[in-house]
Amino acid sequence: MESYLLAVLSLATLSFADTCYGGVLFSTLPQTLAVSASPTDGQVLKAGEDNITVTWGLNQSFPDGTDSSYNEVKLMLCYGPISQADRGWRKTVDNLSKDKTCQFTIAHRTYMRETQNFTWMIERDVPTAVYFVRAYAYNSSRNEVAYGQTTDAKKSRNLFKVQAISGRHSSLDIASVCFSAFALLSVVGFMALEKRGRNSAEN
Amino acid sequence: MEISQGGDDSYQKKFALPVDSEHKATEFRLFSVAAPHMRAFHLSWISFFACFVSTFAAPPLLPIIRDNLDLTATDIGNAGIAAVSGAVFARIAMGTACDLFGPRLASASLTLLTAPAVYCTSIANSAVSFLLVRFFTGFSLATFVSTQFWMSSMFSARVVGTANGVAGGWGNLGGGATQLIMPLVFDLIHHIGATKFTAWRIAFFIPALFQTLSAYGIFFLGQDLPDGNYSQLHKSGDKHKDNFAQVFHHAVTNYRGWILALTYGYCFGVELTIDNIIAQYFYDRFNVNLHTAGIIAASFGLANLFSRPGGGMLSDLMAKKFGMRGRLWTLWIVQTLGGVFCILLGKVGSLGVSIAVMLIFSVFVQAACGLTFGVVPFVSRRSLGIISGMTGGGGNVGAVLTQVIFFRGSRYSTETGLTLMGVMIICCTLLITLIHFPQWGGMFCGPASKSTTEEDYYMSEWNSAEKEQGFHKASLKFSENSRSERGKRIGSAPTPNNSTPDTYV
Repeated sequence: MESYLLAVLSLATLSFADTCYGGVLFSTLPQTLAVSASPTDGQVLKAGEDNITVTWGLNQSFPDGTDSSYNEVKLMLCYGPISQADRGWRKTVDNLSKDKTCQFTIAHRTYMRETQNFTWMIERDVPTAVYFVRAYAYNSSRNEVAYGQTTDAKKSRNLFKVQAISGRHSSLDIASVCFSAFALLSVVGFMALEKRGRNSAEN
Repeated sequence: MEISQGGDDSYQKKFALPVDSEHKATEFRLFSVAAPHMRAFHLSWISFFACFVSTFAAPPLLPIIRDNLDLTATDIGNAGIAAVSGAVFARIAMGTACDLFGPRLASASLTLLTAPAVYCTSIANSAVSFLLVRFFTGFSLATFVSTQFWMSSMFSARVVGTANGVAGGWGNLGGGATQLIMPLVFDLIHHIGATKFTAWRIAFFIPALFQTLSAYGIFFLGQDLPDGNYSQLHKSGDKHKDNFAQVFHHAVTNYRGWILALTYGYCFGVELTIDNIIAQYFYDRFNVNLHTAGIIAASFGLANLFSRPGGGMLSDLMAKKFGMRGRLWTLWIVQTLGGVFCILLGKVGSLGVSIAVMLIFSVFVQAACGLTFGVVPFVSRRSLGIISGMTGGGGNVGAVLTQVIFFRGSRYSTETGLTLMGVMIICCTLLITLIHFPQWGGMFCGPASKSTTEEDYYMSEWNSAEKEQGFHKASLKFSENSRSERGKRIGSAPTPNNSTPDTYV
């Protein structure tokens, strides 16, 4: 009897091990959400100007009780593989607490059985890159329990591009050039002053 | 260096500090701004500080810049290498420029000529333009040589080590201060309302303006020599110009200069590399925010406040007891320990311990810089300017090498790169064991013979024709003053022929 209790207790504790050590593994998540986004494959959108409309809900091919633990849903803008190459700060890691694939939140909502949608204006600090959209479902302890995404498992299809703002303004450009010219003219001025000083020392 | 023939009588000047026969200050008073000596000190360290702030202004903002300009890890690595490679030759050229035009005009001009690169960082829009602005901004680090040159012109042998150490250390401080200043300025501008991708651009005007103002300060408030500026003194015949070809020859044929140039690459060069990579390292590995990464990175450079001057003072202290051999041993030990802590830094995985190890590492590596310049003034008397420039340039070469090998692209993770760099530090520092002065010895061997003197060593840089004309007199004076490098056994040794049998330390 005691050994049975011990076994149950240890199993129960171990089932929390994932969450205790901070990080659900992405590979353990079932893909039960159906997500779609308005951009078509290869479309280029402008940050600060264009919108993305995202639609999400439970994939109807799954049985009814699948989403019983789903509490919240977060929709994220995630980097495609080509934008992760040679950029360690965007690396995909299985442990979700360390994963850096998805860095921008499109929407954060309570989970509802019905299909929902949301239109998001692409924020001005989104960098130029290739993206897809992913949705994570969370349970009441704020842990990921399921996901869905607009691309395939290899992240090769249905990717769209965002063109970032440059951050430059003509006023900045003019100021840079003017101050630079001023610095260069100052050197010429210093040389001239120095020569004049030398000539007056001669006299 | 120059031979001043204008005696005290011809100039009835009153100096705020006590001076020697060359009107160089014999005391170093940190909190004075008296012209010309202390004012020159403050102007030179402030402008060198400004150049460091500009050169390393990009690293703390890289998490924003890399997204704005779509940079890869390779692009970032290349820009970091470019930032420190320009100064390799600029530092060597600066020694000559100081000789020809004086440190005041040379450093003010260089500071102003590199300011446009900082202003234009605001309009960079690609990996190539980013690399170019960092490359040209990096030239400003050559002001290190003019700083050291200027201090050597203003301060006598007794205090020149301290003046050089503090000026160099407080200038290097800029590499740490910028990691605090830039994120703060960025935050402020971002809060006022600019988007991130605009805020970082505006932020670059701050270091650029600071650099411009410091150049103006040097030109209008500074003075080349205690007695006046080069332009005045050249005409009155008070300054004798040495033969450049001879000076160059004696610099490049002295193997000790080359060894110190290489080993300086593994203390100062490593310091520059860390300035480039450490903020990103803490941001990415430990997931701290930009602000926090900046503070941690800053504390590395801020240790320069006391660690580099401390290294210089430690060198002088060891020399008092053990002479040049003491300087060499201390340099080797301190720099090797720096390598050990670098290995550790790559290995530790927790934030708190990592910060602690980084701080210890910073103290050792910066003290090694100060210790190196405790040895450099003795390598050559005639070619001091070029040897200093070579050593300084070698520091930048080390920065280029370490970044190319360990911190470019994605071959090594940053932590592996740090550990491997530590191993390379330890290996290259072993070269110090090869330095040997015939009159004082090296780490493992004593002097060449009991009768080899300082005069033998320093007079070998002049030929008989030059000696006939009396150009070697300053070196003769220096030889006498450098007898203290024998350590405790100096006693009162006046002439070479009467040297008593000494006990070697």
